[in-house]
Amino acid sequence: VIFALVLVAPVIVRHAMGVGASPAGHAPAGVPTLVVINPHNQDIRREFAAVFSQWHQKHYGTPANLDYRNVGGSSDIIRALQSLYEANRDKTTKQLPPQSQIDVPYDVAWGGGDYTFNKLKGFGILVPLDAGIVKAAIPIQSLSGVELYSYESPGSDHIVWAGVCLSSFGIVYNPDLLKSIEIPEPTRWDDLTAAALHGRIALADPSHSGSAGVAYMMVLQRAMADAEMGMKNYTRWQELSKAKADKTRDPEFKRLDSEHDKALAAGWKTGMGRLLLIAANARYFTDSAERVPTDVGNGDAAEGMAIDFYGRMEQSIVGDSRARFIAPANATAVTPDPVGILYGAKHSELARHFVEFLLSPEAQLLWIKKAGTPGGPVRQSLGRPPIRPEMYADQIDWSDRVNPYADAARFNQRGAWMAMLGDVTKLWAASWIDDRDELQSAYQRILAVPDASRRQMLLDKLANIPFELSDLNKAAAERKKLAADKKNDMTFWEAKLRRDWADKFRAFYQSLADEAGKN
Amino acid sequence: MSSTDEKPALRHRLLSVVIYAFFALFLLLPIAFILSGGFFSSTHEFTTAYLKLVFTDPVLLRGLLNSAMIAVSVTLLTVAVSLPMAIITVRYSFTGRNLLSGLLLAPLILPPFVGAIGVRFLLGRLGPLSALLGMAGGAGFDWLGHARFVGVVLLEALSLYPVMLLNLQAALANIDPAMEQAAANLGASRGTIFRRITLPLIRPGLFAGATIVLIWSFTELGTPLMFDIQKVTPVQVFYGLTEVATSPMPYALVVVVLLASTVLYLIGKLVLGRPIDAATTKASTAWSPRKVTGRKAFFPALPVIIVAILAILPHIMVVLTSLTATGAWYRSVLPQHLTTNHFVQALTDELAVPSVFNSVKYATLATAVAVLMGLSCAIIIVRSTLRTRGVLDALSMLPLAVPGLVMAFGYLALSVELKVYWKAMPVWLDVQEQPMIWLVIAYAMRRLPYVVRSAVAGLQQTPRDLELAAANLGAGRARVLARITVPLIAANLIAGAMLAFSFALLEVSDSLVLAQKAAAYPITRAIYDLAQKLGDGLYIASALGVWAMVLLALTVLATNSLLGRKLGAIFRI
Repeated sequence: VIFALVLVAPVIVRHAMGVGASPAGHAPAGVPTLVVINPHNQDIRREFAAVFSQWHQKHYGTPANLDYRNVGGSSDIIRALQSLYEANRDKTTKQLPPQSQIDVPYDVAWGGGDYTFNKLKGFGILVPLDAGIVKAAIPIQSLSGVELYSYESPGSDHIVWAGVCLSSFGIVYNPDLLKSIEIPEPTRWDDLTAAALHGRIALADPSHSGSAGVAYMMVLQRAMADAEMGMKNYTRWQELSKAKADKTRDPEFKRLDSEHDKALAAGWKTGMGRLLLIAANARYFTDSAERVPTDVGNGDAAEGMAIDFYGRMEQSIVGDSRARFIAPANATAVTPDPVGILYGAKHSELARHFVEFLLSPEAQLLWIKKAGTPGGPVRQSLGRPPIRPEMYADQIDWSDRVNPYADAARFNQRGAWMAMLGDVTKLWAASWIDDRDELQSAYQRILAVPDASRRQMLLDKLANIPFELSDLNKAAAERKKLAADKKNDMTFWEAKLRRDWADKFRAFYQSLADEAGKN
Repeated sequence: MSSTDEKPALRHRLLSVVIYAFFALFLLLPIAFILSGGFFSSTHEFTTAYLKLVFTDPVLLRGLLNSAMIAVSVTLLTVAVSLPMAIITVRYSFTGRNLLSGLLLAPLILPPFVGAIGVRFLLGRLGPLSALLGMAGGAGFDWLGHARFVGVVLLEALSLYPVMLLNLQAALANIDPAMEQAAANLGASRGTIFRRITLPLIRPGLFAGATIVLIWSFTELGTPLMFDIQKVTPVQVFYGLTEVATSPMPYALVVVVLLASTVLYLIGKLVLGRPIDAATTKASTAWSPRKVTGRKAFFPALPVIIVAILAILPHIMVVLTSLTATGAWYRSVLPQHLTTNHFVQALTDELAVPSVFNSVKYATLATAVAVLMGLSCAIIIVRSTLRTRGVLDALSMLPLAVPGLVMAFGYLALSVELKVYWKAMPVWLDVQEQPMIWLVIAYAMRRLPYVVRSAVAGLQQTPRDLELAAANLGAGRARVLARITVPLIAANLIAGAMLAFSFALLEVSDSLVLAQKAAAYPITRAIYDLAQKLGDGLYIASALGVWAMVLLALTVLATNSLLGRKLGAIFRI
């Protein structure tokens, strides 16, 4: 009898497999298979695998299989690929062996944002794509300063990555819950700093989720852009800077440029302070960016910072009353989500077909059409804006009426400022996450101060972080100097840097907690 | 022990060589990979600076402190729950006892991190508990936000106490009733008998249980991760592992964890694990439980009912979650809409279906490896006179002290490094292509201590005289082993194997690190991936969890029935 019982389970499974739709991820043996390293969720993986196989059958005569490998978020993908190729480099010349001799388990990297792909490009592990296909699909190379596809180096005509859809960042919030706690619906990043939201904001850990880091960066960049534009002689500085004036010869440019640096440093500090207040409101820091909209929809958090399509997916799942996504006007980046072929890919032919497929109208519409509509996904709308501009003409059966090409016209992330993301992320990790307990106790004590003006004074003090942009630049310069000498142990230095930063902020939080405690 | 000055037998020497080779290859080598990262700088010089950094970093120190506090609280709580449960279920007989005893073991069939999905729903700000207390109408109450630490301790204790309970029940059932009867005859009160006779005699069981629970909860990753607790050492190691290319800190941290776990183990061994006189403890007659009927049955039954309800609460939550229409459990005690869709999706999902087959395959192989190696270890530890048997004892416990995550990372490093030097490496050794062999070894190694502990406890309680008598009567070594030793400790072996199989099926951290290829996913990895997914992910993950629960329940029932009275008489399931 018991034997029969145990046997029942597999029978149920087989039965279920019989009635189930044929899963796209498991094509029969002999079908060409492409190995894709990617951070996407199951919905995106499933929908694209099925359509790619059909598309490949139609255009190249055979079905094709996608074998997805999951190593974590985009930051994890960068680390995994970096160490994979590092192990293959020649110990002295640091050169990679010829493509035919290197053993790489992946063919294609897909998804993770332009920051991730610029890192991969920097490692020299992306090979050229078919430029004709990329340029036909994406007629403009950049959108308000953000590259939509990228050349190997300035002046090169090798395109090494190409965006396949667009992302922006914003606030996902629960209108029903906000009504209960009598807080107005957010429209700007600043709204997340309200003390009434203490413990009610969902945030992802930027050292795991690359998209969270880019979202926080938008708050910072908006503040820096504001400070820059608030500069007295901004237009004049812009003119001189565009004309490539020489600081050593032109005293006016020298003065304006140092004013400009000061303005940027002040803006940076304002932005970091704003982010600190948002971080102080955080309920937790999750390592999965998808948790943020989920918890907002559940009511565990009232607001959160999220990438657009996660916010919209949650909205389509639980309805407008419980989840809504907004992109703060003129304060969010519109960035591409790219694909690239990896150096040493074993299935490079199939990899090229895959890139061609992702840029084809069929794949482009799969991102944005409503689930169940012709040419749309089968089970779940994906809610991501396509990269081909001509797709935006009719918008039939779209799950969301969006046009990032219009939204990005006035503000977008700046490549030059993105370079600091690595170090800023480390600072966030040290000051928000490593010191979370100290930050919480200081913040709670400040919020408990009965006198409103004294409370505000202390909050302003909290936002005035004990750290300057110049400190960040100093660390970067020191790293560069030390790394030049091979004898230096940089891993130790990096670990110690984060600890030192955490120590600095810990002392800062403790002094504020002490001050707030004296009532 | 009576045989300390005998010469070690040749067969013990040979067996120990095989065992040592196994440990060297699959335990020490991966650990060495990790340790070298903790003690050697990126320029290949020996350094203790990283280790010092761990002890001067307040964040890492707090992590260690928090982990130790969780471990101690969980262990005390499991003893407090298990000891009365063990006494009641072994010594008393009342209506419904068998059912309740079965329910007490319910946590064994639910992966703790799947239970955490259910508990997170239960304790949601606008979730069922808030709704039940009439708090979900307005802003709700953030249970988890206010008592994260307590939540973790309770959930871990709730999922780990069966380990303690099984060990205590086995130890209690093995006590010769004559011992306690003799004490009673001599006028000892019940309290005195418990303190002076029972407690010392169940010490090996208590030690086995406490060691496992203490070190497990010290290195538990899944539960704090689900509750977003970052400042415990395992989570810090886990987060550190993804920074392994850039930071030596996870390596140094692992060195500290190893050290701390070894110290915990040694303290446990010194306090509770002193050897007892084996010849006197194996019961020649079994206890006949005291029958309690009518109203009186209420007194032993009540505490069991309370614990059983708490124990199956996460299961109930997971089942309810799996039946809830996506997003339909909001500001209400019960889900507003029910559906079976998630089961259909789980059963047709391209991740879920193969993952179940994979898991059963991996876990079965791993259990076979673990029982074979575990029995061999136990024989050497208890029966041989080899000088190195103490080393082997410590070695076989080492996997408990090393987080599964770290072992897995060691295997990953081993496989990748092998590939660099051995171009023609067969594909089944390549963890990125076919993780099966590595997952099986990882599962087996992780659960080996349970089997060793169970087998050692059994051997210690089995008089050597019985084996010697058989040998005197002309039985060969193999015959003695097959006819005397193994049957006598069968209950202990089966207990160990059951634990090994269940936990292999529920193993989280190894699975997360080693299975990157979707087609090779074990069930836990599939659940983890699904649970991260926006929208219906949590519900489908719960459905898969329910399915895993059913599968495990069937396995446990089948084992129980196959061994029928033997297992029943000892565990009183």
